[in-house]
Amino acid sequence: MKRIGVFICHCGINIAGTVDVKRVAEEVAKLDSVVYAQDYIYMCSDPGQALVREKIRQEKLDGIIIAACSPSLHESTFRTAAEEAGLNPWQCEIANIREQCSWVHTDRKKATEKAIRIVSTMVEKTRLNESLEPIPVSITKKALVIGGGIAGIQAALDIADSGHKVILVEKESSIGGHMAQLSETFPTLDCSQCILTPKMVAAGKHRNIQLMTYSEVEEVSGYVGNFNVRIRRKAPFVDWSTCTGCGLCMEKCPAKVPSEFDRGLSTHGAIYIPFPQAVPNKPVIDRESCIYFKTGKCRLCEKTCEIGAIKFDQEDQIIEEEIGAIITATGYETLPVTELQEYGAGEVPDVIDGLAFERLLSASGPTSGEVRRPSDGRVPKEVVFVQCAGSRDPERYRPYCSKICCMYTTKHALLYKHRVHDGQPYIFYIDIRTGGKGYEEFYHNAEQDEGIIYLRGKVAKIFRDGDKTIVWGTDTLTGRNVEIQADLVVLATAVVPRESTAELVKKLRIQTGPNGFLSEAHPKLRPVESINSGFFIAGVAQGPRDIPETVAQASGAACKVISLFSRDHLEQDPAIAWVDEELCGGCRICISVCPYDAREYDEEKCIARVNEALCEGCGSCVAACACGATQQRNLSDSQIKSMVTASLGGE
Amino acid sequence: MSERTGLAPPKSPPVRLTRETVSGGFKKRVIELSGQNMDSCYQCGNCSSGCPVAQEMDILPNRIMRLAQLGLKDDIIHSATLWICASCFQCTVRCPRGIDIQGVMDTLRQIALDEGVDHFGPDQIDPEQAASVPQPGLVGVYRKLST
Amino acid sequence: MAKVAYYPGCALKERSSHLDTSARDSAVRLGFELDELPTWTCCGAVPPVSEERVMNLVAPSRILKDVRDSGRDVLITICDFCYNTLKRTNYSIRTNEITRKRINAFLADDEPERDYIEKKDAYWVDYTGEVRVVHLMEYLRDEIGYGNIREKLKRPLSGLKIAPYYGCVMLRPQNEIQLDEPENPSIIEDFIDSLGAETIRYPYRTECCGSYLSVSSPDASTRLCYRILTSAQQHGADAMVISCPLCFYNLDSRQKAIAEAYPDFKPIPVFYFTQLLSVALGVDEGRQGFERHFVDVAPVLDMILQGSGKGDRT
Repeated sequence: MKRIGVFICHCGINIAGTVDVKRVAEEVAKLDSVVYAQDYIYMCSDPGQALVREKIRQEKLDGIIIAACSPSLHESTFRTAAEEAGLNPWQCEIANIREQCSWVHTDRKKATEKAIRIVSTMVEKTRLNESLEPIPVSITKKALVIGGGIAGIQAALDIADSGHKVILVEKESSIGGHMAQLSETFPTLDCSQCILTPKMVAAGKHRNIQLMTYSEVEEVSGYVGNFNVRIRRKAPFVDWSTCTGCGLCMEKCPAKVPSEFDRGLSTHGAIYIPFPQAVPNKPVIDRESCIYFKTGKCRLCEKTCEIGAIKFDQEDQIIEEEIGAIITATGYETLPVTELQEYGAGEVPDVIDGLAFERLLSASGPTSGEVRRPSDGRVPKEVVFVQCAGSRDPERYRPYCSKICCMYTTKHALLYKHRVHDGQPYIFYIDIRTGGKGYEEFYHNAEQDEGIIYLRGKVAKIFRDGDKTIVWGTDTLTGRNVEIQADLVVLATAVVPRESTAELVKKLRIQTGPNGFLSEAHPKLRPVESINSGFFIAGVAQGPRDIPETVAQASGAACKVISLFSRDHLEQDPAIAWVDEELCGGCRICISVCPYDAREYDEEKCIARVNEALCEGCGSCVAACACGATQQRNLSDSQIKSMVTASLGGE
Repeated sequence: MSERTGLAPPKSPPVRLTRETVSGGFKKRVIELSGQNMDSCYQCGNCSSGCPVAQEMDILPNRIMRLAQLGLKDDIIHSATLWICASCFQCTVRCPRGIDIQGVMDTLRQIALDEGVDHFGPDQIDPEQAASVPQPGLVGVYRKLST
Repeated sequence: MAKVAYYPGCALKERSSHLDTSARDSAVRLGFELDELPTWTCCGAVPPVSEERVMNLVAPSRILKDVRDSGRDVLITICDFCYNTLKRTNYSIRTNEITRKRINAFLADDEPERDYIEKKDAYWVDYTGEVRVVHLMEYLRDEIGYGNIREKLKRPLSGLKIAPYYGCVMLRPQNEIQLDEPENPSIIEDFIDSLGAETIRYPYRTECCGSYLSVSSPDASTRLCYRILTSAQQHGADAMVISCPLCFYNLDSRQKAIAEAYPDFKPIPVFYFTQLLSVALGVDEGRQGFERHFVDVAPVLDMILQGSGKGDRT
């Protein structure tokens, strides 16, 4: 007969306020196998844990039950304590009498009865628990980082610096992401490219980083430590190994394509490098716009290239890699101006978004840093900035705050003022949020010294009248409506997840929240991990954030990967499914119900096996198995049966 | 608030907020009649920005919403704004929090009318107009602006 | 010829009867008949806001129920106020169970006393919003099709520059009306295009004309209408097209007051969409009630008649 000890936590008044913990202790002490039962005010405290350890030794306990909060909170605390006292951790069980009892009931008598039954149920389980050992799983110490913006670059560099190999996959032909488009960064006004390009170059040159730009992840299978990844390298129609990046081909190309990098404010050829500091600095041919691909004639680039690097017959390549951990850092887009109907729906030429204005401010931009408006190239003298364009609008657009706009709009107004001294910037805002180091000071300075007019109110309508763009707003502080005949309007459009992220998460089988941003395992305590082990997240793909936060999170995610790689093997929870090979008839029902692809068919033995590394112990196959061949460790049929009986009050 | 005789009343005496004003009868009645959650309003001002008749109002719509949030009935029912709103629904369509502001305005008018603030009586109409304006104008104006 | 249930409403019966006439004429040319309900009352013009005023929903509900009881499921109306009131009443009957029950209780209650309506023997069935309320403009777009209109034109309005005016209650509140995009609609533009005329884009097409303020605060309406009309003119409009009797009153008749207040103001003719449709389909211009317009339509009418040669005068 087992010797079981039960420890009942008051959790202050969280449990003891509704459940009579003394009575629970008295009642469960009467159960078979229970040789010790005691309540204590905070079982998770050091003295509480010490009590558990002491009694395991003193009472020679070979099974313990902690009646307390959810096992998701303190199971590991008490299993560690048990192990320290020489007890196998799988002989320690948690009876949840807080979330599933005291918090949801008010009747003390009934709640106490329920708590007794919950504990009794776990006593029945514990009586039949086996001692288990964790299952070792090997690790491939190579990371995959998806997304080559500042988040992906930082994460890749940190992992590579620790001595591990990294593959950095980027959809575009160059790494750099949105940060490469920015002119200056708030609140320090560092030149964005000046601080970014050294990191781009470092990532491009690092011996532990393999850059795969113009590439996309096709398929991911496997599990933490042992992923198999298929990556599509899109054909650039240029042999990058021989191309010197001289740029002659780009000069000769007769096609005109609006530059995505310049937000449509400039054009490039069908063969192009998105921006001069691109890494790698190699061109690609945009198949959709290339005259040769469309008409079968032209090939000017091919004739120009003396080394013969143009390869019209190039095809996409599929590359397979073994990977131990994956960081998703796919970044963001902004809500298209065309979606904002009342702001001109993209039909008013002098209404642009924040990223386009960055390009107008940028020294490497289409106007070489002079602020000139798109309609006629004139220098705008009255410029209106509209915040919350699509943000904080659950009714029609996006419900959340895009977080970065307050600061970048102030930066925009300030930089505009630095370029056009006699110009007047106006900022329409709902609230100004400056939660960041030096942010409030930056805003204060802009307001006080730069002549920017802040107007507290949302703009209702923007339309073109002659060569002016009319803005109808309000100033709720004076209670007066405001009309501005603007020369240029800049919309701080909502930050939204990339459309392609939705497809990618399906391939990775990780989760997104209601707004399409990646979900973290815990919003406070596990902010850089996905709930699925081996997947980590960084940057705006998880939710709107600024550069310092993105970089910090990327380093955090990298650190998690390095910590994973620092171990020789992983330990997998052994309380999972196992198969009695004698009983298995090979019907494969288990394979069809397993949500983790953990059941596989053994062609030789004609049975269905369990891949221990993939099994999460959910029990689906155990329930589905028709002949009882699949069982769950420490949740055997006989355990479940006696648990059900106990939960119904015995007999 | 009682004032001493002989002293000119102050121009902007502080509003005395109590539990009764901010969550009491008036506010409850507005919420009940309109079916709208006014506390959802975060004062973005979009209703005012786009209001075609804002220029005729003494208090802009967003401030009416704010006064209603604070339960300041007297300021509201004596405001000209109630009788200027043309019920064009521009505010309702654009409210980011989905409040039917026009509906709240209708409710406030109804409460004002119930309190005896009759804005527009049959005697006030220009007879020439009465004979020519299409019926929706006449029915509308009396339904909205008089008891 | 297909008959479609038709609710004209008070204005079209009398003060805006030219809207009614031109609509009926156009319908016939397009192969359907606006079949006026045998008995009907005023819809109430504006729906009430609160549950407590559910009484005000009874009149429009009765109209809708009568349509349903006559075995039809579509009701055409033209006046924007009637359209808004009937459609929103229907919406609250469909979506709000309490309103539905209370209204039906009222309707059931007054049924035996309605001596102005022929008694029906059919047993009582609750009205649950079965009828679809359709604006004539919507019917033209969705059922007749602009392509069909184009084919039947006798006098295309080519060369004419027309400013569409939507006003407020035809489009809003959008979640209940669902006729078109409220900020950036296109139904009138597409209609103008089907008549062969050119659409003028100007920023005030969905801004309110003042509605009933025309009665209580006429100056406010004058200011609003001045802005709408002059903007359309500045963008090159020869004429404006509308569908609502109150908009017509404000934008046409009010031009007298506008001209007095703004010396620089030049008049611009305003048409009901049905008048332009009717003329374009070849109906005699003498049947359009143009003499009831405050602003002389002759210059624009001449453009139409000249533009299309002799035209088909039937």
